[in-house]
Amino acid sequence: MAAGKEDRIALHRLMLVTRELDRVIGAADGHWHPALGEEGVVAGCYYGLLEGDALVPHYRGMIAACYARGGDLRRLLAGLDGRATSYSRGRYRSDVCGPIELGIIGLYSGALGPTLEYAAGAALAAKLDAKGAVAVAVFGDGTASRGNFHEAVNLAAVLKLPAVFVCQNNQIAISTPAQGEHGGRIVDRAAGFGIPGQLVDGNDVVAVHAAVQGAVARARRGEGPSLIDALTYRVGGHMAADPGAYRSAEEVEQWKQRDPIALHEQRLLAEGLLDAARAAALREAVAAEVGAAMKAAQSDPLPGPDVLGLDRVFAEA
Amino acid sequence: MARLTMQQAVVEGIAEEMRRDPGVFIMGLDIGRFGGPLNSCKGLWEEFGAARVIDTPISEGGIVGAGVGAALMGKRPIVDIMFLEYLSLVLQQLGCDAGAMHYYSDGRARVPLVVRAKFGVGPYHGHAYDYHAWVAHLPGIKVAMPSNACDAKGMIKAAIRDDNPVLFLEHMGLYHGAREEMPAGDAVVPLGRARVVREGRHATVAAIGAMVRRALLAAETLAKEGIETEVLDLRCTVPLDRAAILASVAKTGRLVVVTEAMKFCGAGAEISALAAEEGFGSLKAPIQRVAAPNVPIPFARNLEKLIIPDENAVAAAVRRAMVA
Repeated sequence: MAAGKEDRIALHRLMLVTRELDRVIGAADGHWHPALGEEGVVAGCYYGLLEGDALVPHYRGMIAACYARGGDLRRLLAGLDGRATSYSRGRYRSDVCGPIELGIIGLYSGALGPTLEYAAGAALAAKLDAKGAVAVAVFGDGTASRGNFHEAVNLAAVLKLPAVFVCQNNQIAISTPAQGEHGGRIVDRAAGFGIPGQLVDGNDVVAVHAAVQGAVARARRGEGPSLIDALTYRVGGHMAADPGAYRSAEEVEQWKQRDPIALHEQRLLAEGLLDAARAAALREAVAAEVGAAMKAAQSDPLPGPDVLGLDRVFAEA
Repeated sequence: MARLTMQQAVVEGIAEEMRRDPGVFIMGLDIGRFGGPLNSCKGLWEEFGAARVIDTPISEGGIVGAGVGAALMGKRPIVDIMFLEYLSLVLQQLGCDAGAMHYYSDGRARVPLVVRAKFGVGPYHGHAYDYHAWVAHLPGIKVAMPSNACDAKGMIKAAIRDDNPVLFLEHMGLYHGAREEMPAGDAVVPLGRARVVREGRHATVAAIGAMVRRALLAAETLAKEGIETEVLDLRCTVPLDRAAILASVAKTGRLVVVTEAMKFCGAGAEISALAAEEGFGSLKAPIQRVAAPNVPIPFARNLEKLIIPDENAVAAAVRRAMVA
């Protein structure tokens, strides 16, 4: 399931978009949860799914996931502070919840974990339809401590659902490091569920993409769910405004040396898929696209009282 | 037509909807070959097979969550969580998330999910708790509680066709009780419409679930005393049939609200507040609430009996309203 030339450029581009989103949004909103350093997992998971697949993203990387699914960047960014042009017209936040019309099941509350069960349900719907669709769920290592993780993966295993569970394992949950969260490796839990588990270098976007697409192909063949543990590192704070004073600067510095974007770009340059000029042009184009979308979104109107919709809580037949 | 118990009526309603719509399926614990606890799904597995009558692990949060996910993708799942006392295990998925999805998505997400749960003090010792007020408080989820077999069939059909999450409550004290003739054809009882079960002009008793029968027994006793009681079967607490409650109160001027659920912050408080806020002009006496006290349901049969309103408690409340 190796990525072709175009895929490798597209993966690079999606990582660049993810990082630029962090830079631009983080500067505007201290509560934004950046995916700095985790772009390899974000792009590797969200690139390459098909129409009809359900995508259940982790909140850290949600906007990039929606963008990868064809979402309009201006509308997605307008949802950061609830503007009328956003997909929900201001009824909900876009930083943790993408639009259902893109096949995305986001977080409809602040509770992490239930979305993995929604992914199992989307996979069950896909199984009943038998058209080869899958559900891909991405979650953090912190979320993996929740019972929801165990119930969702176990249910998917028992019912042999076409689901792929990917842990975006940045080795920290807000301030609690991995050793304070798990008694063992997350990937090893796969054996307990009787499904394949794969540990992958989350800072190698091509490796993540290959692992996810391999598991997706398996699910499409009706062979059941998989668990992927994509090991990466949260270089930024939990939120943009978090200085991360609870961990060592040396550790952060070490991981910065394994920056997923730099690693992949060097590989593209070495393989001749990109030259220095094209690499720079790509960065500039991404910065221009994100910058323009953000600028436009920030001047979009806030919703009028008509959006409140007190009589729109229930769906009509 | 066959005469059915509430249990049989619910199963028949589900079977009709499964025949009608291939997107309807049901999952839960021990609902296949075993037939579900108290035969809650008896016969479905035999007719529809394991692909649409899905036995699951003990994982209430997991299966209700999976129901939410499948509903978002266009299916009409029914999830049998056995007993309402497991509601605490599924509140995030059912109440907080599923109830908000339609609104938060600006109307694009629909969650046509039915969660079935048995409850109620009755012949089966345990699992009795009526916690439905937890969900009634949350936006976007309907709560249905039939009081008889006919309504149970018509309401489960309406719940399955509804595009919103519905908590469907099946009272164990009524489950294998009175048989009723089912109406012919595709009889759907819309959610949110109360029914006047007995007409009267002196006092309204608004009741729900197993309390409807007790209200009727009380009304018979009161009739002998010259008090004509109107008995309203609310059928649902969400949507609440506000118009029916207010219309009856306008007619009688007296309101007694009867619930098996605990009194404090229970559905009875909301119904009383509605009458006080919007029907005060017609009230001739203070509103009376008859409900279980706020105490965990005790185990011994005689203690259990002491906390659940019976027909004598209902009649006494009506008499209090009459003298006030």
